[in-house]
Formats: sequence, C-alpha cells, structure tokens
Amino acid sequence: MLKTEGLSFSYNSSHIFTFPDILLQQGEDLLILGDSGVGKTTLIQILSGLLSPQSGFVEMNGTRFQNLSSKSLDQFRGSHIGMVFQKSHFVRNLSVLDNLLLSLYLSNKLQDKKRAIHLLQEIGLADKLNNMPDELSQGEQQRAAIATALIKTPDLILADEPTSSLDDNNCQKIITLLKEQASLTNAKLIIITHDQRLKDQFNTSIEL
Amino acid sequence: MNINRLSWINIIRNPFNTMLSLLLMAFGIGIISLILLLNKSVEEKLQRNLNGIDMVIGAKGSPLQLILSSIYHIDNPTGNILLEEVNKIKSNPMIESTIPLSFGDSYEGFRIVGTTHAYPKLFQVNFKAGKLWGKSMQVVVGSDVVEACQLKIGSTFYSSHGLVEGGEIHNKYAFKVVGILDKSNTIIDQLILTNSASISKVHNNKKHSSHTHEGVEGGCSVDHNEMITSLLVKFRSPVGLIKFPRQVNETTNLQAAVPAFEINRLISLLGLGLRSINMIGFFIILVSGLSIFISLYNSLKKRRYELALMRVYGASRFQLVKLVFQEGVLVSILGLFFGLLFSRVILFIVSFFISKNYSFYSIHLSLIKEELWLFPIALSIGLIASLIPIIQAYRINIPKTLTNV
Repeated sequence: MLKTEGLSFSYNSSHIFTFPDILLQQGEDLLILGDSGVGKTTLIQILSGLLSPQSGFVEMNGTRFQNLSSKSLDQFRGSHIGMVFQKSHFVRNLSVLDNLLLSLYLSNKLQDKKRAIHLLQEIGLADKLNNMPDELSQGEQQRAAIATALIKTPDLILADEPTSSLDDNNCQKIITLLKEQASLTNAKLIIITHDQRLKDQFNTSIEL
Repeated sequence: MNINRLSWINIIRNPFNTMLSLLLMAFGIGIISLILLLNKSVEEKLQRNLNGIDMVIGAKGSPLQLILSSIYHIDNPTGNILLEEVNKIKSNPMIESTIPLSFGDSYEGFRIVGTTHAYPKLFQVNFKAGKLWGKSMQVVVGSDVVEACQLKIGSTFYSSHGLVEGGEIHNKYAFKVVGILDKSNTIIDQLILTNSASISKVHNNKKHSSHTHEGVEGGCSVDHNEMITSLLVKFRSPVGLIKFPRQVNETTNLQAAVPAFEINRLISLLGLGLRSINMIGFFIILVSGLSIFISLYNSLKKRRYELALMRVYGASRFQLVKLVFQEGVLVSILGLFFGLLFSRVILFIVSFFISKNYSFYSIHLSLIKEELWLFPIALSIGLIASLIPIIQAYRINIPKTLTNV
C-alpha cells in the first residue's frame, strides 16, 4: 500500500506546491496529469524519497520515509521502487544486459542473468542484449530503461513522462508494456505526465 | 556486475585519457626507479670491491684516479712507483698487510694484473677449475674473461700493450691459463691475474727493442729498479687511517689515497646529478596526477546523471565514492607497476650492452628497499587527484541532476 497525506514542497518562499493525497493498493494504477510547472517532477521525487516534503508524509508498505536514515532510504528505494524517466539514461560504458545486472546488484538482489535475458526478450530487445545503450533507437532505449526498472520486481513503479518524447505508436507500446509488467509482478504503477494521449488508458487519474 | 568491475570497465572504456595518465605515471616512476636501481647497483659495486682495502699507495697524481685504477680498474694508473720506496713504508707497525699490483697490459680489453696470492683471497674467490698460479707466466682468469674470450685451462695467449684493445702485442712470452674463477660479482671477474714477475718479464724483454714505454700510459715497469703500479694497504686499526695517509703524502714521493673517502666524494658528486633527475621524475609524477584529475573530472561531468541514476538504483554514497576512488587510484597503481617494470627493462637492455666493461649485470629484478617509497607516493597522488571528484560524487544532488538533463 502507498499512502501520502498533506504533501507540500517549496523551492523558494514565494511559491509552494501542495499535492493531493494518494492512496494506492497493491496492483493498482494511477495516472497523474498536469501541465509544465505544476510540480510533477517534484512529486515523483518526493514519492521516491529523493526529496523530503516540507509537510506531510509518504508511507509505503507500512514504512514512513521520514523515519528512515538516508542510507536505509537509499536501500529501500533500491529494492522497492523502480523509476522510469522521460529521457532514458544508462550507465553508458555498460551493455544493456549489464545495466540490468548493475540495477540488480545495487538493489542487493540476485544477479539472475537468465531472468534478465528473458525480460529483455519479452520486451523485444532480444537482439540488443550486448549493445551499448547509445546504439539503441529512442523507443528501444525507453524499453530498455523500463527493463532496468522492472528487473528488480519493485513494489512501486514510478514513471516520469515516459511517453512524451515518443510517437503515438511507441507511446502505446510503452504504456501497454508498463501496465503488463506491473500487473505481472502485482506492482503499483504511477505515471506522471502532461501527455493527454494517456488520459483514456487509466481508470484512476488525478489532475494537478 | 559490481563496483570493482564497473570502475575497471570505466577505465578501459576511456583508453586515451587512461593511457595518458598511465604513461605519465609510469614514466615518472620509471625514471626515479631507474635512478634508485642504478645508484644502488653502483654503490653496491663500489662497496663490494672495497672490503679489506683501507688505503692505496701509488704515484703522485689524482687520488680519485688512483682509487679508480687500482681498485675498480676503470681509469688509467697514475704511474709507477719504486718497490724499494714502497718497502720502506711496508715495515710500519700500523700496517697489517699489503698487496702489490702491477698492471698496464691487457688481453682483448681485459686487464692483466701482476700481484700476489693475497689479492684473489681478498675477494674470497672460489675456483671453477684449476688452481692459483705457481710460477711466472701462469694466469688465473675471472669468469667474465673466460666467457668473452673462450679460454680454458691450458689455453695460451699473448698480452697486448696498454689497457685498451689494439695495443702492440708482446709476442715473446705467452701466458698460460692454470685457473678459472667462479663468478663473484666483483671486479675480479674481469681480471687476468698473474704474479708480478710475469709482468716485468714481458716488459724487460721489450727493453731491448727500440720501443719505449711512456710513463703514465703504459704504466709498466721498464726501469732497472723493480717497480709496481700501486700497493693496497690494510691497517691494524682505524687509527692508521687518520695519520698514515697524510704522513705518506707529506714526507715521500708517493701518494696515499683512502678509498672510502674518495668514493664518498664521488657518490656525493654523482648524488647532485641524481637528485636533479629525481626531481624531474617527481615532477612528471605530479603532472600524471594532474592528468588523472582532469580525466576523472571530465568523465564525471559527463557521467553526473549516471551517478545519480546509480543512487536511484539503490547505490549508497559510499559505493559512488568507492567507484570514483578506484578509477583514480587504479590508474596510479597500474602506472606504478608499469614504471617499476619499465626501469627494469631499460636496465636490463643497458646492462646487456655495457656489461663487459662496467658490469651492472647484478640488476635488482626484485624490489629494492628504496623503491618502497614510490608506493605511498603513487597512491597519494592518485588519492589527491581523485579527491575533488570523490567529493563531487559524494555530494551529488540527485533530484537536481535528474531534472537538469
């Protein structure tokens, strides 16, 4: 279960972002829509524990983020939360497959090479296993980035504008992939975006 | 996949930067290590040939030249001295023992030294074959001579005049090999030893010809009075060292030189040059540190997002610090090892070409004590160079870095 209450954050005193409360059960999806500048990225960073809110709290599986030390929060995020960004980034000196293995290593999980290869095959990157991330097309890169987030079977998948730089065709593929994989591992999925194309794809959505 | 492997991959995936830092470090370390090894080799060589010789007596001239010629057999002798005069000194109660040396002839570039049995015994030599000389014209040869000239027991040869190859051949009397010495890593390895009488014999014969020997150059006895080139002296107690050389220099026509003193003077003269070369080496190491810093700094600037991403994956601050630290220090340590290897390869090649005359063949392939200093130097250079990038990695602002791309 993911629960937030009374979240707010400000970068300076003149403007304060306040966010609606969220309650999400295991396996549920949530779409958060909002235009540029309403604090979408700020919210996703608070939800992932990268930023601490000025007021309110985030609680996941019974753990309040503010009660964790920064080191345990790093570990908690590593093992429970998978993140996907608008622009996909990788450790550029490692192959696609090695990026997946590094993600497993850093979240203290077994480096199961077979499972990593299987996942990449499933999302259509079977022939790109040993390619460098730079050698992939943008759509492929986004899929590979999702694979790096999913390989550690997180409880929560946080996607920040995962589709905004993609064409309609790739956009649809990515969303289907995210929803499929989330339901496969029974993970909560939160997508934050300004991309109106996604509006009809989710049952629950919040406007910021 | 782990942090160690990732730092290694980052290093080899950036070959040009790595190569530059590595080469600079290896070069700097190599120069210093080469100087240390040479210094050690020379000093050891100098000291090893010195044992049991407290003072050398010879003709007036440069004391350093006297030492170099009589102990190390490098320089030309200062001239000859009358045995009669030497004998007066020998009776002094401060002196424990003396060894006369007569030389000036050579065979294929190797010096023939007329002396007594005490001389080889001074170096505690072992025989590979044969025995010490019994009568005139019998010789005992050092291991390097045997190797270079293909001599064996029973071989005979003629000496040539002067100490370098190409002198006039004394073809009246032939020397005969009766003993071959084991390698001792001392100057003996490069000498042909016989008794003093053999040297006189070869030269007294020449006296009847029109050829005249010229003092210093020839350095051999040609006078009616018996002459030697120099006398090695051992004192009963160190007190002799203080009084005796001065007494000889002031009251006789002879020159007395103390090897320990002359060698120290030589080493300190050399030391000045060695220190400046060391400074150059150290400067290159510093530049390599700068190169490591610049390449780390640049690569981290490009990889800021990567580090933030790793934190998102669950990496701790410490793991990022470890990654950057290893990338910096690994290059400096690799440079250190290449440097140590480099100096040994150079020394090996050099010794291969000059071993016949100056014999630095006793190369230290193992690490010498003085080189241990290079480890903390290389390590701290790598550490200092990575310090700023490490701090950057530690303090990386994840939300800001992730948003600003």
